[in-house]
Amino acid sequence: MDPIMMEFSQHSPVLIVMAPFLLGMAAAAAGWANRKWAFPMAFLGLLSGLIAAIHMLIKTAKGEILVYHMAGWLPPFGIAYRIDTFSALILTAIMAVALINLVASRASAEKDFTEKAPAWYALYVFFVSGLAGMVATEDIFNLYVLLEIASLSAYALIGMGHNRAPFAALNYLLMGTIGASFYLMGVAYIYIATGSLNMTDIAVILQEMGPNPTITMAFALCMTGLLAKMAAFPVHGWLPNAYTFAPDATTNVMAALTTKVSIYIMIRLVLSLFPLSLAFDTGIIADAMVWLATIGIFAGAFMALAQKSFKRMLTYIVVVEVAYMVGGFWLGNRAGMTGAMLHILNDAAMTLCVFMAVANIRARRGADAFSDLKGLFQTMPFSMGALVISGLAIIGIPPTCGFFSKWYLISGGIEAGHWGFVIALLSASIINAILFFKVFEIAFFEVPAETFGQNSREHESDHHTHHGLPSLAMAEARISMLIPLIIMALTLLALGFMTGGIVNLFIDPAIPGQVL
Amino acid sequence: MKKLALILCLFAGGLLLMNAHYLPMWGDPASPASTHVSPYFIENAYEHTKTPNMVAVVLADYRSYDTMFEAAVVLAAGFACFFLLRSRARGKKGGHHYYRHIPTGVTIKIEEGGKLPAENSKVFRSIDALWTPYDPIIQTTCRCLIPFLQIYSLYVLAHGHYSPGGGFQAGVVLGATIILLAISHNLKTSLKRMSERTAALWSIIGVFIFAGTGLLCLLLGMDYLNYEVLAPLLLSDEAMARSHSILIVEVGVTMAVMAVMVWIYYNLSSAGQQDEGL
Repeated sequence: MDPIMMEFSQHSPVLIVMAPFLLGMAAAAAGWANRKWAFPMAFLGLLSGLIAAIHMLIKTAKGEILVYHMAGWLPPFGIAYRIDTFSALILTAIMAVALINLVASRASAEKDFTEKAPAWYALYVFFVSGLAGMVATEDIFNLYVLLEIASLSAYALIGMGHNRAPFAALNYLLMGTIGASFYLMGVAYIYIATGSLNMTDIAVILQEMGPNPTITMAFALCMTGLLAKMAAFPVHGWLPNAYTFAPDATTNVMAALTTKVSIYIMIRLVLSLFPLSLAFDTGIIADAMVWLATIGIFAGAFMALAQKSFKRMLTYIVVVEVAYMVGGFWLGNRAGMTGAMLHILNDAAMTLCVFMAVANIRARRGADAFSDLKGLFQTMPFSMGALVISGLAIIGIPPTCGFFSKWYLISGGIEAGHWGFVIALLSASIINAILFFKVFEIAFFEVPAETFGQNSREHESDHHTHHGLPSLAMAEARISMLIPLIIMALTLLALGFMTGGIVNLFIDPAIPGQVL
Repeated sequence: MKKLALILCLFAGGLLLMNAHYLPMWGDPASPASTHVSPYFIENAYEHTKTPNMVAVVLADYRSYDTMFEAAVVLAAGFACFFLLRSRARGKKGGHHYYRHIPTGVTIKIEEGGKLPAENSKVFRSIDALWTPYDPIIQTTCRCLIPFLQIYSLYVLAHGHYSPGGGFQAGVVLGATIILLAISHNLKTSLKRMSERTAALWSIIGVFIFAGTGLLCLLLGMDYLNYEVLAPLLLSDEAMARSHSILIVEVGVTMAVMAVMVWIYYNLSSAGQQDEGL
């Protein structure tokens, strides 16, 4: 590397947030200058974010921990960013997911929002840079500020959907704000007890201080707030409606990232801010969380069974997946934590993939009730192929990535002797299998009553094959939506094959040595 | 369900109350919050930045990165309102329109289906459907008030180094003047003074001034937002460079806050149509 690049590359911890943010503002400004520039600016922003993330991924893999001091002030006086192997991994996932979805969603965003598309791009990029900052920051108040910008953009992005989207967004706004307030109150308690906002600094102070009721209170407040933000079981109510009614372009990225980043923050706070003894020593908190997750898995899975449209069913699967990660992490052993952390990555990838496949179907068919899925394997073979792979990943069938994280979660459960959680995981897999094979069956064997809008023209000759099923002309999604989807489907397989490397290089070093 | 919620609230409130006596006393100088980082700020803020108002220093220098994102949150709020509310559908209210015939000052009402004058007509000017008669007292009072308020906002901005004030407050006062103009006259008058495009671009430029200052520091080879490196550009030593940069970013914040307030008002008051409204 030449010296200028060397000089520049040390700034990647801040550039991962600021490059997308600044170019997002450029995309916003394009709305009042030349609308054509909005997409390239947003694309460039997320691309530079991805480059910065990959750069940090390579650096941290070599054992470096990247620390960046904003405005040059050392913590605890200034704000610092601290990126270890696991945060670099999550940052890369965030940027990659956001970039792929941006490309895939361009057509639908331009069509849905026309003149307001630049504002959509801008809010989208603000949302992503907010999430990236939340992952990178070491300052608990800075985290709140970034949480604000990510949430605010998210409310707007969801509110522009169809039907009851504004109402769902309002509901999400109320729940999200309550969650964020709880977190902020936790931050205030931590500040009262320690006088510091820097995670590493606080961890050192807390170690010296020993048990303290104010910190226990802060811990409870932060966790409650984050549970609401991540839509864990009893406070998941906002999620299904918000994600169902949001525009597809928004749902894809939000389902893939929002809840995952909240879980990341929970993990980071427990592992590197609060004393581990506070979370795991009594066993009461950890046990309660695992049982909550167990109930959440069953509740989410059964609600998913009751749904009549595909996208809505998937939103309940998101709730189930959140419970996997919460439960796995709170098992408190190395296998469970590895499973939860690996699942953050895998779930981001497979959720994006499955929602993108549904977006393609909705773009072609205009609806996603199960009765609208008939004959899809013939008309949209590639999208359905990707859907099958992502479905297998969500069920947890090798060699897709979903299998490996589930394997860790289950072995963590067995190791901890938490049979309730193990049974919940296994039954959720079975229920997921039922859900997805129901979809596959409809799409493969059933014949649509009438050929759908787009392909009726191409279908005038109407020659039936002799295999019993009439052949339908292919009506795939547009190429700009299809290629990102296929890339994601292949990623699910690739992540599965790379599991060993990911765990050894990026996840294992991030779990403290005391956790066995 | 309501009872359960009540019990939960009482439980949470009880926990907080029970914990209250573990908290340090109000204003206790020996509490962790007053002994850990505060002394550093109190002892060094003036030396580092030559700025007497410590709050401004913490806000715009030690924790400038937070403040930049607070300004960004304001910007995002502006865009959120625009994105959700703005629509181009015009004239859906009621169906009739009011116009003023400028040469005579006569107000005419055009019923639904009637032929409307041209948009850029010099003779007829469209006025609000909820039009209230011209009130010279309110309009004159506001016209007298607005310039003073605007000067005051500039004072709040410029004096942020010495007394309570700074970018956010100045932006709010400045934005309020434009909104006052819209309330005392009508939306069209204020749109003529400050169009939606201006408001949007100003809000972006405002945040860009802040973020761009940070970027400039980075490009000149120091950490993001480390103002010291701007010393040669600002023709001063490092501490004064920090002081000047605080003013620069506060100007950015003022612009952003002012423009976003006005922009949100435009969209809220006219239900996104920006033709007429309170």
